[in-house]
Amino acid sequence: MGTKGEAYVDTSAFIAFVDRSDSYHDLFRRLFDDPPSLVTSVQVVAEGHAWFLRRYDTYRALQFLSLIEEMEPLEVLDTKTADVEQATTLLRQVSDQRLTLTDAIGLSLMRLRDVEVCWSTDFHMGSTGISLAIHGV
Amino acid sequence: MIRTQVSLSEEEYEAAKLEARRLGISLAELLRRSLRSILPVDASKPWMRFAGMIVTGDPESSQHIDEVVYGHKG
Repeated sequence: MGTKGEAYVDTSAFIAFVDRSDSYHDLFRRLFDDPPSLVTSVQVVAEGHAWFLRRYDTYRALQFLSLIEEMEPLEVLDTKTADVEQATTLLRQVSDQRLTLTDAIGLSLMRLRDVEVCWSTDFHMGSTGISLAIHGV
Repeated sequence: MIRTQVSLSEEEYEAAKLEARRLGISLAELLRRSLRSILPVDASKPWMRFAGMIVTGDPESSQHIDEVVYGHKG
Protein backbone atom coordinates (compact mmCIF):
# COMPACT_ATOMS: atom_id res chain seq x y z
CA MET A 1 0.00 0.00 0.00
CA GLY A 2 1.06 3.58 -0.44
CA THR A 3 2.61 5.72 2.23
CA LYS A 4 0.85 8.70 3.72
CA GLY A 5 1.27 11.79 1.59
CA GLU A 6 2.19 9.85 -1.53
CA ALA A 7 1.16 11.51 -4.79
CA TYR A 8 0.54 10.03 -8.23
CA VAL A 9 2.16 11.92 -11.12
CA ASP A 10 0.33 12.05 -14.43
CA THR A 11 1.98 12.86 -17.79
CA SER A 12 0.53 16.38 -17.74
CA ALA A 13 2.38 17.25 -14.51
CA PHE A 14 5.70 16.28 -16.09
CA ILE A 15 4.94 18.36 -19.18
CA ALA A 16 3.89 21.38 -17.09
CA PHE A 17 7.16 21.01 -15.16
CA VAL A 18 9.39 21.00 -18.25
CA ASP A 19 7.45 23.54 -20.34
CA ARG A 20 8.14 27.10 -19.26
CA SER A 21 5.14 28.36 -21.27
CA ASP A 22 2.60 26.16 -19.53
CA SER A 23 0.28 28.06 -17.19
CA TYR A 24 0.85 25.45 -14.46
CA HIS A 25 4.65 25.52 -14.82
CA ASP A 26 5.34 27.59 -11.70
CA LEU A 27 3.10 25.36 -9.57
CA PHE A 28 4.77 22.13 -10.68
CA ARG A 29 8.26 23.64 -10.47
CA ARG A 30 7.47 24.37 -6.80
CA LEU A 31 5.95 20.94 -6.18
CA PHE A 32 8.80 18.99 -7.79
CA ASP A 33 11.35 21.11 -5.93
CA ASP A 34 10.16 19.73 -2.60
CA PRO A 35 8.27 16.55 -3.41
CA PRO A 36 6.71 13.93 -1.15
CA SER A 37 7.03 10.26 -2.22
CA LEU A 38 5.86 10.10 -5.81
CA VAL A 39 4.58 7.25 -7.94
CA THR A 40 3.72 6.99 -11.60
CA SER A 41 3.06 4.24 -14.13
CA VAL A 42 5.13 2.79 -16.97
CA GLN A 43 2.37 4.02 -19.30
CA VAL A 44 2.88 7.62 -18.16
CA VAL A 45 6.60 7.32 -18.89
CA ALA A 46 5.84 5.91 -22.35
CA GLU A 47 3.27 8.66 -23.00
CA GLY A 48 5.70 11.40 -21.96
CA HIS A 49 8.43 9.89 -24.13
CA ALA A 50 6.03 9.70 -27.10
CA TRP A 51 5.01 13.35 -26.54
CA PHE A 52 8.64 14.46 -26.82
CA LEU A 53 9.19 12.29 -29.91
CA ARG A 54 6.12 13.76 -31.60
CA ARG A 55 6.78 17.38 -30.61
CA TYR A 56 10.56 17.44 -30.58
CA ASP A 57 13.14 14.72 -31.27
CA THR A 58 14.96 11.72 -29.84
CA TYR A 59 17.37 13.99 -27.92
CA ARG A 60 14.55 15.69 -26.00
CA ALA A 61 12.77 12.34 -25.54
CA LEU A 62 15.91 10.90 -23.94
CA GLN A 63 16.19 13.97 -21.71
CA PHE A 64 12.68 13.17 -20.48
CA LEU A 65 13.79 9.62 -19.60
CA SER A 66 16.78 11.09 -17.74
CA LEU A 67 14.38 13.26 -15.78
CA ILE A 68 12.47 10.12 -14.73
CA GLU A 69 15.71 8.30 -13.81
CA GLU A 70 17.12 11.17 -11.79
CA MET A 71 13.97 11.94 -9.83
CA GLU A 72 14.79 9.95 -6.72
CA PRO A 73 11.50 10.43 -4.85
CA LEU A 74 9.69 8.91 -7.86
CA GLU A 75 8.85 5.21 -8.17
CA VAL A 76 7.68 3.89 -11.53
CA LEU A 77 5.10 1.22 -10.72
CA ASP A 78 4.89 -2.05 -12.61
CA THR A 79 1.60 -2.69 -14.35
CA LYS A 80 0.19 -6.17 -13.93
CA THR A 81 -2.48 -7.89 -15.99
CA ALA A 82 -4.94 -7.33 -13.13
CA ASP A 83 -4.27 -3.57 -13.27
CA VAL A 84 -5.07 -3.50 -16.99
CA GLU A 85 -8.25 -5.53 -16.37
CA GLN A 86 -9.33 -3.13 -13.65
CA ALA A 87 -8.55 -0.16 -15.90
CA THR A 88 -10.58 -1.74 -18.72
CA THR A 89 -13.54 -2.16 -16.38
CA LEU A 90 -13.24 1.51 -15.41
CA LEU A 91 -13.12 2.59 -19.07
CA ARG A 92 -16.34 0.64 -19.70
CA GLN A 93 -18.01 2.30 -16.70
CA VAL A 94 -17.14 5.82 -17.88
CA SER A 95 -17.28 5.26 -21.63
CA ASP A 96 -18.90 8.69 -22.03
CA GLN A 97 -15.55 10.26 -21.02
CA ARG A 98 -12.46 10.47 -23.21
CA LEU A 99 -10.17 8.66 -20.79
CA THR A 100 -7.11 6.92 -22.19
CA LEU A 101 -5.91 3.54 -20.95
CA THR A 102 -2.97 5.39 -19.35
CA ASP A 103 -5.45 7.59 -17.41
CA ALA A 104 -7.48 4.56 -16.34
CA ILE A 105 -4.42 2.58 -15.21
CA GLY A 106 -3.36 5.63 -13.19
CA LEU A 107 -6.76 5.84 -11.53
CA SER A 108 -6.70 2.08 -10.79
CA LEU A 109 -3.20 2.28 -9.29
CA MET A 110 -4.22 5.24 -7.12
CA ARG A 111 -7.22 3.30 -5.84
CA LEU A 112 -5.11 0.20 -5.19
CA ARG A 113 -2.39 2.13 -3.30
CA ASP A 114 -4.80 4.45 -1.52
CA VAL A 115 -3.16 7.51 -3.09
CA GLU A 116 -5.29 10.57 -2.40
CA VAL A 117 -3.56 13.26 -4.46
CA CYS A 118 -2.90 13.31 -8.17
CA TRP A 119 -0.44 15.71 -9.77
CA SER A 120 -2.16 16.42 -13.06
CA THR A 121 -3.61 19.26 -15.10
CA ASP A 122 -6.12 16.85 -16.66
CA PHE A 123 -9.54 17.25 -15.05
CA HIS A 124 -10.46 13.69 -16.07
CA MET A 125 -8.06 12.45 -13.42
CA GLY A 126 -10.30 13.95 -10.73
CA SER A 127 -13.32 12.05 -12.05
CA THR A 128 -13.21 9.36 -9.37
CA GLY A 129 -13.01 11.72 -6.43
CA ILE A 130 -9.20 11.93 -6.34
CA SER A 131 -7.89 15.38 -5.32
CA LEU A 132 -5.94 17.19 -8.01
CA ALA A 133 -2.88 19.14 -6.88
CA ILE A 134 -3.96 22.08 -9.07
CA HIS A 135 -7.03 22.49 -6.82
CA GLY A 136 -5.29 23.52 -3.68
CA VAL A 137 -1.68 22.76 -3.00
CA MET B 1 38.39 31.42 -12.04
CA ILE B 2 39.95 28.30 -13.53
CA ARG B 3 41.27 28.61 -17.07
CA THR B 4 40.67 25.68 -19.39
CA GLN B 5 40.87 24.91 -23.10
CA VAL B 6 37.93 23.69 -25.19
CA SER B 7 38.14 22.36 -28.74
CA LEU B 8 35.28 23.36 -31.03
CA SER B 9 34.56 22.67 -34.66
CA GLU B 10 34.77 25.69 -36.95
CA GLU B 11 30.97 25.70 -37.30
CA GLU B 12 30.44 25.54 -33.52
CA TYR B 13 32.96 28.32 -32.98
CA GLU B 14 31.36 30.61 -35.58
CA ALA B 15 27.85 29.92 -34.30
CA ALA B 16 28.90 30.54 -30.70
CA LYS B 17 30.67 33.79 -31.63
CA LEU B 18 27.60 34.96 -33.52
CA GLU B 19 25.29 34.17 -30.59
CA ALA B 20 27.65 35.88 -28.11
CA ARG B 21 27.70 38.99 -30.30
CA ARG B 22 23.91 38.92 -30.53
CA LEU B 23 23.62 38.77 -26.74
CA GLY B 24 26.37 41.35 -26.23
CA ILE B 25 28.54 39.04 -24.11
CA SER B 26 31.95 37.42 -24.50
CA LEU B 27 32.41 33.95 -25.93
CA ALA B 28 33.66 32.80 -22.52
CA GLU B 29 30.52 34.12 -20.82
CA LEU B 30 28.32 32.37 -23.42
CA LEU B 31 30.09 29.07 -22.71
CA ARG B 32 29.75 29.57 -18.93
CA ARG B 33 26.01 30.27 -19.32
CA SER B 34 25.57 27.22 -21.57
CA LEU B 35 27.30 25.05 -19.00
CA ARG B 36 25.16 26.39 -16.16
CA SER B 37 22.02 25.53 -18.10
CA ILE B 38 22.89 21.80 -18.26
CA LEU B 39 24.36 21.37 -14.78
CA PRO B 40 22.06 20.75 -11.81
CA VAL B 41 21.63 23.85 -9.66
CA ASP B 42 21.27 21.75 -6.53
CA ALA B 43 23.22 18.48 -6.62
CA SER B 44 20.72 16.89 -4.24
CA LYS B 45 17.91 17.50 -6.77
CA PRO B 46 19.41 16.73 -10.18
CA TRP B 47 15.96 16.53 -11.79
CA MET B 48 15.45 20.28 -11.24
CA ARG B 49 17.76 21.03 -14.17
CA PHE B 50 14.92 19.86 -16.43
CA ALA B 51 12.46 22.43 -15.02
CA GLY B 52 11.49 24.72 -17.89
CA MET B 53 13.83 23.04 -20.36
CA ILE B 54 11.41 23.64 -23.23
CA VAL B 55 9.18 26.50 -24.35
CA THR B 56 6.31 25.32 -26.54
CA GLY B 57 4.60 28.71 -26.54
CA ASP B 58 1.33 27.00 -25.58
CA PRO B 59 0.07 27.94 -22.10
CA GLU B 60 -2.16 24.84 -22.19
CA SER B 61 0.41 22.38 -23.54
CA SER B 62 0.01 20.03 -20.57
CA GLN B 63 -3.71 19.82 -21.32
CA HIS B 64 -3.18 18.91 -24.98
CA ILE B 65 -1.05 15.81 -24.53
CA ASP B 66 -3.65 13.39 -25.92
CA GLU B 67 -3.94 15.40 -29.15
CA VAL B 68 -0.16 15.25 -29.65
CA VAL B 69 0.31 11.59 -28.69
CA TYR B 70 -2.92 10.00 -29.95
CA GLY B 71 -4.06 12.52 -32.57
CA HIS B 72 -7.20 14.61 -32.65
CA LYS B 73 -10.23 12.98 -31.11
CA GLY B 74 -13.15 12.48 -33.42
